[in-house]
Amino acid sequence: MISNRLAILGALLILLAVLIIIFIRMGGKGKTEQEPLSLPPEISQSSDEQQEKRKVVLFYLSEKDALLHPEVREIYAYTSVVQEAKQTLEELLKESQSGYLSPIPPQTKLREIFLTRKGVAYVDFSKDFQVGHPSGSTAEILTIYSIVNSLAYNFKSIKKVFILIEGVEKETLGGHVNLNKPFLPQYSLIAR
Amino acid sequence: MIKVAHSDFSYDYFNTEDSPRLIIDLSQAEEEMREIRNIVIDPGHGGLEVGAKGKFGALEKDITLPISLKLKAIIERNLALRVFLTRDKDTNISLDNRVAIANNNKADLFISIHANSSFRKNATGSETFFLSMDATDEEARRLAYLENSSAALEDRIEGENEDEIKMILWDMAQAAYLQQSSQLAEFIQRELNLLLSTHNRGIKQAPFRVLTGVACPAVLVEVAFLSNPVEEKELLTERFQSRVAQAIYRGLLNFIKLYGQE
Ligand SMILES: [Zn+2]
Repeated sequence: MISNRLAILGALLILLAVLIIIFIRMGGKGKTEQEPLSLPPEISQSSDEQQEKRKVVLFYLSEKDALLHPEVREIYAYTSVVQEAKQTLEELLKESQSGYLSPIPPQTKLREIFLTRKGVAYVDFSKDFQVGHPSGSTAEILTIYSIVNSLAYNFKSIKKVFILIEGVEKETLGGHVNLNKPFLPQYSLIAR
Repeated sequence: MIKVAHSDFSYDYFNTEDSPRLIIDLSQAEEEMREIRNIVIDPGHGGLEVGAKGKFGALEKDITLPISLKLKAIIERNLALRVFLTRDKDTNISLDNRVAIANNNKADLFISIHANSSFRKNATGSETFFLSMDATDEEARRLAYLENSSAALEDRIEGENEDEIKMILWDMAQAAYLQQSSQLAEFIQRELNLLLSTHNRGIKQAPFRVLTGVACPAVLVEVAFLSNPVEEKELLTERFQSRVAQAIYRGLLNFIKLYGQE
């Protein structure tokens, strides 16, 4: 009985090891080169030249005014909208390359993005997004709409954005803007 | 304390800090107002929820309360209105409870008072917000028909208010009052511009949680920026706080003159 169980356990361990190796190899491959074949055709970004990258516009803050300032960045194309959106926000979490201010607290990490069929993107940030935020109405408004605009501006299939923190719905970020509803983009906040 | 025993006059007084002078401002008493009876003032934040923080350590919650108390005193001194505060000390009160306090006390006007904060240090000025709603919002559309007759909404609140303890919290009650709220915001912002020397940031709309469920004209005033060291110091002075209260009072008064009668 005992030896039987040990044999089964051993087999399971070997299987697990094989799976881990496959997973690691696929993960490594995915980072260096894209796999267009594995993606559903209707959500991949098609282009005649089959280019590997695409441009996205991110929205940062300026020392000069209370508006959102565009900055162009490149991300990998041909992945799903969700993957592209994830890359876009990960770029937004980095510092501006043109000297703008970041609208997102420095330690913030993007945990996950989900996209519903109706075009609502659920964006889930780490708790630093809330803990490190300066509060204040103006700061909250600009943080939220830099995220919402950065997604809706670049992805037609994203109509609204719902913000989560540590996987949970929050009332507000710092006591002002309501987070219990999805946001439409606010293009009037963009500097011209 | 001074008592002016004449019902035809209303008054207000200021202490000047620089010179030993007391200014008493007498004016004609306001005509009776039938529509507007209850005003709810909401001092932003409180308790553990401190709000924005200044470089020198000022906390938003400690600035919004004295301004609110001063505003309450000015209104009560000059107008025959009932004034409620959502908090009168340093306590935690949820945003939904603030809304409930307003609706349970049958607020006819709701003013939430805050001090602002930004990522950039040189952001300055005052602004007055009213609620923004998505035009495509289904809930807003559901309530949009009420925009023309807010009486319909009041009737429904009346009906539900039989039980006094019952909390009335409407998800989107503010939808029926957006026009009046924008007018109130305009009046208050105009007076802030006149009485404070702060930069005018104008009236704006934002989806603020505390405004969403309030069933009367409602605004959120951002007095000045705690994230700006110069304005942080200003916000801490009694003189500045009194001027803010005075400005908001004057804005209220203009609104009441326009909507409060007939
Ligand atoms: Zn506040």
